[in-house]
Amino acid sequence: MKTFRLLSVFTLILALGVSVSSCKKVSDADLQKNAQTVLATMPDAAGVTVSVADQVATLTGTVKDDATKAYVESAVAGVEKIKSVVNNLEVVPPAPDYAALDAAINTGLTDALKDHPKVQATVQDGVITLTGEVKQSELETIMQKLSALNPVQIINNATVK
Amino acid sequence: MALTEKYKELIDVAGQYGVAVNDSGNVLKVDGSVPSADVKNKMWDIYSRLDPNFRSGDLVLNVKVDAPESGKVKVVTNESNLNIRKGPGTDQPIVGKAAHGDVITLVGKANDQWWLVRDNDGEEGYCYAQYLEPVQ
Repeated sequence: MKTFRLLSVFTLILALGVSVSSCKKVSDADLQKNAQTVLATMPDAAGVTVSVADQVATLTGTVKDDATKAYVESAVAGVEKIKSVVNNLEVVPPAPDYAALDAAINTGLTDALKDHPKVQATVQDGVITLTGEVKQSELETIMQKLSALNPVQIINNATVK
Repeated sequence: MALTEKYKELIDVAGQYGVAVNDSGNVLKVDGSVPSADVKNKMWDIYSRLDPNFRSGDLVLNVKVDAPESGKVKVVTNESNLNIRKGPGTDQPIVGKAAHGDVITLVGKANDQWWLVRDNDGEEGYCYAQYLEPVQ
């Protein structure tokens, strides 16, 4: 009888203990998972990491602007049972993407320089660099053709004859 | 010297015709349309005078002459004939030639670089737009 009582109390404590500790543990991990699920639906939050401790979510990583920073915070704050959010996100504006412009300029360069075989041009990040040799009389024509390709800058390193 | 100061004369002309001027700090961008080739040439004359041989790399002068979608255009090559091509690109076969100084018909525009024209023999094809100047 005594043994039985002891055993049942022990079992109860064990059960309680396990349930309490497992409840707490699962809770933060679950919350973190839920927050990650929310973030996964946001393409702008690709650089964001979330961790949850004691139902407080902490955001780290980078976003492209302040609006995204605030938006990510509110989205995580909206996850059920998250008490508060510590927003440690850093705003890093993305470098402009010149790939499309460079491709368009590259296509245009072939046509623009067809009549000027001694001059070469390269483009990077929207900046056209001229090298080679150019006659004074054709320089303005070349500059006009290149300007029409709408570059960011034209650097004329060609030798003017 | 600030770029807006260096190119003040050019900016003043741009202002007269509502051409946009953007100062990014190290490059001034002048971008827009002007009513005639005379104005465009005048702007290029100013540019070439203020920055001999275009050495500074501090200005992008992208001005187009307002051209109707159709009308007459003059061939303004240096002296040579202008190729008329089957499609918009120098990789396209040549279907005809227009003589320097000829006035031909603008039929349409494929893009800013290539215009569709009809020469005086009735041949149709694409020419490089920089060698064409609208005539009133």
